[in-house]
Amino acid sequence: MTFFSELRGLPVLTVTDAAELGEVRSLTVDAASGTVTHLRVRGRRPRRETVLPWAAVHAVGPDAVLVRSADPADPAPPPHDPVDRRVLTDAGDERGTVRDLAFDPGTGRMRSVVTTLGEIPADRLLGLGDHALMIRAG
Amino acid sequence: MNELMAARSLTTRPVVTLGGDAVAQVKDTVFDAEAGRITGFTLSGRGLLSGPLRQSLPWSAVHALGHDAVVIRDRRELADTAAVVARREAAQGRVLGARVLTDAGADVGTVLDVVVEGGDSGRVVGFRVAASKDLAPGSRRRRRQVYVPRGETLAVSGRALVMPADAVRHVVGGLAELAALTGGGPGRRSGPESGEGPLS
Repeated sequence: MTFFSELRGLPVLTVTDAAELGEVRSLTVDAASGTVTHLRVRGRRPRRETVLPWAAVHAVGPDAVLVRSADPADPAPPPHDPVDRRVLTDAGDERGTVRDLAFDPGTGRMRSVVTTLGEIPADRLLGLGDHALMIRAG
Repeated sequence: MNELMAARSLTTRPVVTLGGDAVAQVKDTVFDAEAGRITGFTLSGRGLLSGPLRQSLPWSAVHALGHDAVVIRDRRELADTAAVVARREAAQGRVLGARVLTDAGADVGTVLDVVVEGGDSGRVVGFRVAASKDLAPGSRRRRRQVYVPRGETLAVSGRALVMPADAVRHVVGGLAELAALTGGGPGRRSGPESGEGPLS
């Protein structure tokens, strides 16, 4: 199990030719299915963001993330970063903001979302939009 | 469990889909002719420069009315404003500012706001009323605000609400007390969010 906070800032390299693409900027998630879908990489020069499908990730190590291919995801996902997003129940009540995500780097399957008010299991997530991460009230 | 809210406090509350997208914010709350239920909301756009929206939110599309947002299932369920607002002139315009009288003919006061139940019921549970001198005697310069439970028997006509005389005995000073009164049973509304005081 990996926390997103451990990944942020790690260099991203291709496993085939060791080319450095940049550093991990953020993740894109599909809240409804509870999976990490994309890796957002910010290039060093030029500082351009590349969005890679999570399936392209070869290995997540303590010091680097290795990817099989530098081909960007097509189509690009909506640019909602889960971290720092407000959490809202389907009853319309706020439940803090997202601090971190715990997930299995092999499958991209999320275990939980860490919020300012505690941990929420991934099976309670409903959706992530421009306003909030929606969860089932419980 | 379900928090009570003053209808005026709903203005500017975001309207959010179950997918987490904010599609609008509440402009006004619309009630049915008996002032017993919310029939929907008129909307304005999000942000400082956006004005009223052409679309409104019928209550049937509401998943839950919450403390921080009105949650809807899908933005495609927003309706033409005319469908929601047709009843507005006949309902909300009449409720706010209306006189409240008992069926014995005593003046209770005038309606300042409508108190609704959060959640998915859309129920009107009472009114915030500027109490008349008879109801709240004393030497205070400012007239007292009280909460009057709606009850089951209420006549809404023209510029007045007529309520049973014995309902006046249930007039309370705050939203929390109104919640305790209308809860139907001990503990039903004893959540941590039911303790809101009067809004002004």
